[in-house]
Amino acid sequence: MAYKLGLIFSTTGSYAALGQSALAGALGAIAQISGRGGIDIVPVIRDPGGDPAVYEAQMAELLDMGVSNVVGAITSWSRKDMIPVLERKGGLLWYPCPYEGFECNDHVVYLGAAPNHHVVPAIDWLATQGMSRAYLVGSNYVWGWETLRLARDRLQAHGIEVVAERFVPLGSTKHEHVVDEICATSPDCVINSLIGPSSVSFVKDLGARDPARRGRPGHLVSFNQTEADLADLGEAADGLLSVGSFFAEDASATLRAVARDRAPNGQVSAFLASAHAAVELFAAAASEAGTDAPHAVFQAACAAPRATVLGDIRIDPVMRHAALAPRLALAEGGRFRIIERAAAPVPADPYLSSQPAPRAPRRPALRIVP
Amino acid sequence: MTDIPQHNFAGQGALVLHRSEEAIRGVVERCARLGIRARGLRRDLTVDDLEGVDMVIVDIDTGHDGALPWTPGAAPVPLVGLVGSESPGRLGWALGQNVDAFLPLSALGNLFSALVIAHATFARRSDLMRERAETSLQRAGRLDVIRAVNALMAEGGDEALALKRLRTMAMVGQVSLEDAARRVLAQPETRRSGAP
Repeated sequence: MAYKLGLIFSTTGSYAALGQSALAGALGAIAQISGRGGIDIVPVIRDPGGDPAVYEAQMAELLDMGVSNVVGAITSWSRKDMIPVLERKGGLLWYPCPYEGFECNDHVVYLGAAPNHHVVPAIDWLATQGMSRAYLVGSNYVWGWETLRLARDRLQAHGIEVVAERFVPLGSTKHEHVVDEICATSPDCVINSLIGPSSVSFVKDLGARDPARRGRPGHLVSFNQTEADLADLGEAADGLLSVGSFFAEDASATLRAVARDRAPNGQVSAFLASAHAAVELFAAAASEAGTDAPHAVFQAACAAPRATVLGDIRIDPVMRHAALAPRLALAEGGRFRIIERAAAPVPADPYLSSQPAPRAPRRPALRIVP
Repeated sequence: MTDIPQHNFAGQGALVLHRSEEAIRGVVERCARLGIRARGLRRDLTVDDLEGVDMVIVDIDTGHDGALPWTPGAAPVPLVGLVGSESPGRLGWALGQNVDAFLPLSALGNLFSALVIAHATFARRSDLMRERAETSLQRAGRLDVIRAVNALMAEGGDEALALKRLRTMAMVGQVSLEDAARRVLAQPETRRSGAP
């Protein structure tokens, strides 16, 4: 029995590096599952080219041709655009990317880090470093707005001053005023929720204007920076703190082989690993359910923890999010070095309804990695 | 900067009124994930049920005024209506109850939005009720203001001077003009003129 699985990733366009990494992970998983005698999965690939308007049409096309399950979308914008068509046609989206939370749709399985996996541990770590002033900059859309709002709340709860909060149009590289303001105000850290070319250009420009920042741990903070495009940032990224559900340091030989063989940059990233895990989850669930019907597949996926490259993953059948073990990592010479990791998977809290108020010093679920 | 409405309901209590165990289970388990202590009821609500309850989520399909222990439209906590049939008559009943937010049973994944909207609408409704009560009290006090002005005029001066004195008393006492008037009327004449 072969099941079709849609893969909608922008492998061209402004955030192509992330889509390429995710697609490599998904295709690697399909090949591995088939190679070890698991179910046959026929990938049906589409590339929206980073154009938000295309996602909905491509999702509709796949669902109309009998594809019931799709792994895909990088940005929240594209995910939210595809949800109405998923609802209308009864499809299931396996979403493998970190996002800003505050969503729980019956046609989506959320496999990326939720805000309690990224914003909360990252800001809590900053508080332990004696930082007292933070500058916030983000792309002018839902990821930037919500991650920075959450960051601001958490920073202020820790007593860290928010020097300024600025938004740059999506895709824009005109941020001289932001760099000027950062140089003038000298914050301890800059929380960067810019995406794609905006982020790359900003990090490089800031590093060039103020080279003394480089290498200072946590001078830059990102809630979604991965190895998929870390190299694009160059030396300016040294000391960048990122947080996520996976970093290459934890990759198995199998996953490294997938990256080497299929990822254009040869790197394992959280996008690659999560997309790989999404396919593993789909395969295990469809195999157990004996069908790819979305409801049955989802029920089966939630029935028990499933072994994936991210470790055993449990999905909450009510909130539809995966429990993940967040890691904190510092960029050094184009690689991420993990500095803290949760001892066990942490259930997603997409509405941040069960986060205790910060107490200094607090690093509840994380331990030092020797 | 956008005002952020109340959006953390952890530790609050909710009652879910519905005829269906399945619907109750769907709402209760989602509430639990938001940190809300929710329990379901398949009968009419009593005042005692409201102990420790911060919001009520009610089935619009079968809801009726007798099921809710308050004057229709005056729920003491935020009220969320679960939409089933969408019949105008049922929605009309819900509007008569001043339901603060509507949540289709087919979209329980949007419970969070319904709760945020319900709490904000309820707070706005409560403010409006309070303002109305204050306005009503002020209207009722107009006659007292006239009486107080007359009383002060009896101590000398014209009505403009008397009104000015009354305004000064209200300002000094940090009370409304109507309350200052009531105080004037409650005092013996000697006190008004500054006698000890």
